[in-house]
Amino acid sequence: MKSETKGTAVTIGKNVAVIFLLLLSMILGLVGCTNRPSESGEIISGDAAGNENATAEEPVIIRLAGEDVGLPNPFRHTAGGAGVSKATLLYDTLLEKDENQDIPWLAKRWEMNEDGTSFTFFLHENALWHDGEPLTAEDVVFTFNYYKEHPPVSNSLTDGKKYIVTDTKAIDDHTVEITLNSYNNTYLSKIGSVLILPKHIWENVDDPTTFDGNGATVGSGPYKMEIYNPEQGAYRFVAFEQYYGLQPAVAAIEWVPVSDEVLAFDNEEIDLVMPTADLVSRYKESDEYIVEEVPAYRNSYRLMMNMETVPELCAVDLRKAIAYAVNRQEIIEKIGRGVGLISSMGYVPSSSPWYNSDIEQYDYNPEKAKALLEGRTYSFTLLTDNSAKSTKMAELIKISLDEVGIDVTVESVESKARDNALKTGTYELLLTHAGGMGGDPDYLRGIYGEKSTTIKGWSNERVNELAKAQAIERDETNRKEMLFELQKIIADEVPMVMLYSTVTYFVYRPEKYDGWMMIRYDHNQRCDFYKLSYVVRN
Amino acid sequence: MKSYAKKHYLLVLLAVITINFFLPRLMPGDPFLYLSVEEGEVAAAFSEEQIAQYKAYYGMDKPLYMQFYDYILKLLQGDLGYSIYYNTSVLEMILLRIPWTIFIVLCALFLSSFFGTLLGAISARLREKPADKFMYLFMVVFSEIPSFLLGIVFLFVLAAKLKWFPLSGGITIFAPHTSMLSYMGDLLHHAALPIITLTPAGLGNFYILARNSMLTVLSKDYINTAKAKGLKKWQILYKHALRNALPPIIARIFLSLGSLFGGAVLIENVFAYPGVGKLMREAVLKRDYVLIQGIFLTVAVTMLLMNWLADVIYKKLDPRVFR
Repeated sequence: MKSETKGTAVTIGKNVAVIFLLLLSMILGLVGCTNRPSESGEIISGDAAGNENATAEEPVIIRLAGEDVGLPNPFRHTAGGAGVSKATLLYDTLLEKDENQDIPWLAKRWEMNEDGTSFTFFLHENALWHDGEPLTAEDVVFTFNYYKEHPPVSNSLTDGKKYIVTDTKAIDDHTVEITLNSYNNTYLSKIGSVLILPKHIWENVDDPTTFDGNGATVGSGPYKMEIYNPEQGAYRFVAFEQYYGLQPAVAAIEWVPVSDEVLAFDNEEIDLVMPTADLVSRYKESDEYIVEEVPAYRNSYRLMMNMETVPELCAVDLRKAIAYAVNRQEIIEKIGRGVGLISSMGYVPSSSPWYNSDIEQYDYNPEKAKALLEGRTYSFTLLTDNSAKSTKMAELIKISLDEVGIDVTVESVESKARDNALKTGTYELLLTHAGGMGGDPDYLRGIYGEKSTTIKGWSNERVNELAKAQAIERDETNRKEMLFELQKIIADEVPMVMLYSTVTYFVYRPEKYDGWMMIRYDHNQRCDFYKLSYVVRN
Repeated sequence: MKSYAKKHYLLVLLAVITINFFLPRLMPGDPFLYLSVEEGEVAAAFSEEQIAQYKAYYGMDKPLYMQFYDYILKLLQGDLGYSIYYNTSVLEMILLRIPWTIFIVLCALFLSSFFGTLLGAISARLREKPADKFMYLFMVVFSEIPSFLLGIVFLFVLAAKLKWFPLSGGITIFAPHTSMLSYMGDLLHHAALPIITLTPAGLGNFYILARNSMLTVLSKDYINTAKAKGLKKWQILYKHALRNALPPIIARIFLSLGSLFGGAVLIENVFAYPGVGKLMREAVLKRDYVLIQGIFLTVAVTMLLMNWLADVIYKKLDPRVFR
């Protein structure tokens, strides 16, 4: 009996080992299959890959930290900068944004009608799609109609419930007229930032969110996609040689997976890195690197006050007292390691041409805060996310407010839970870091205006009126006056306490590539998300 | 008896599917809620209408029980749904990534079980001698180091400082491989660090199990018989003792897949290795319900399968367990 058991054990032991080895080799093979572009069809836009970028000099290839952000077309890239920017390199827009304004792009010029509700765009005649087909006004017409039925991931064409484009027609092969439902100061920028689709590919596609067939990434942009490897998070874009506009600055852009960005940059595996303030000094000392310091004007930490559920907060003196009591400079010193920019209480960042400097600045003044409170004391809960930075900031706010007689209990939760509380209004005080301060100041209408859902329980007649009027005011001086008044009222009312904007550092080796555009007028993103960072400018 | 076991597994599977469906929905926040931004990132702002439209598209506007019904129905057709964040078929995404994870997990399993058993056997043979005591202590301490910590140390020392291994990824990207051999070499080169990081945790377990199992066997009568026959010491150890000590070790091989997989989730994120673990982290961060469900289900089913295999093999190996 015993010997029989032994025998079975031995053979099965051997079998297991054999099966194990077999499995292992099978998996090795499988891993292999998914990874060779030529076999698995990962070359999605593939015409004679890569060999046309041979130039006289050594072709420059930029490498950047990558992650999977979806198939880079208007319907399948992921939400957020990394996804949008890749689609933007492949697909052209009618206009592009530089340091100061919207500039001609696919449209070499444009005209506006009398009442500003219709725009005529004159397209470049020699624009081509990556598959060689010519780009015409028909494609533009098709795009605006198609987006109405199938909204892209990054959708700028709806304002409230309405699709802002009412009619699009091709005047001739390279002229297109777009009619809008009304005039608004932001609409030109909005239609100018729409990614134009090739009609000959998308006209047969019913569900663009599942489409990944031939031509799914064919655009008319300065780069075309050669390889997309989703599991590695790797992309390779190559210069489009027949590009009509500003020429691609490098032969290829490659996004590669990275475990630690600073290590990868030091090892020259990637060409651009965004180190923290602590790490920057080591790059500043060397000539090999250029360090750029870019304030994130568009984003700011904010202290939200819920006036819907906490009636005490409806008193403007209390809100002002909080604004005076919070030591924002100290927050920058301690949390931002000395780098950061105090945000304007009027919301519009100081870098904007629409910024009104003649408003209450709320410099740190605990005495004034105490005077405003007249000896009253309060007690609130401050909700924050559980990142180290936010919780420390919340503690600093707690200490500052404590000094003027406002007792604060800090509660930290996971960031999505905090966001959920912000949305549903289940908080008293709340600390958040949010964007939405870039480009045209019409954002004031969304944040403080009538339909605002951001600030709970606050509304101001005059603000609603001005917010509505400035959006359709076509005279720039008048509009500026309105926006200045808006900022003044907002600063006096303090519906939320604006804290500070962080500073992002970008480090690169100029010898390898120095075409980065650091600031775009809408302060939207990072230099590696700007299209103009990758083309030759004069 | 057999049908009882089958029912058992079916019940567990059902429970897994149910928990799997409800758990992500109990998390605060939803995939369309982007109210705050990370440093230097843009927040994707969706309008209320857009959100409503998306929710309708993914069936998230229906009552929960209807969503559950739809989910089960689709599952029966082998449809894991469509990722909300990545806009891609979940099944496709998982199939692309799972071979990578299985690859490093199996390699680590092989190394840890083989060397663990070998060292355990040696240790048992040298019982109570200094070498055994030292090895025992070392293994217990070594196996308790969290693997992600080990991973970070390896990343800094072996990859960044000494540059013996690549910093990240599963393969050299965009480098055409001329031969199958160079391709395989590249794969192993990239997988090496994740594998040697994953191995120690299992190594200690197998070592202790093998050592105990061997100690039990070594005290049996037939070992004395073998000794009496005048067989060589190592012959006794490997031909007679180890083979009889094997069944619990083989069962453990299958059962340890669960913890190894858990380790792989962390390790893949340390090394940016393109497996399911890295995908899982992204899916949770982005609240991509559909993707989270798909991954969890795949993992759970794999674990169930392994447990079942362990059951079956154990029974075959050891007739005492079942007749």
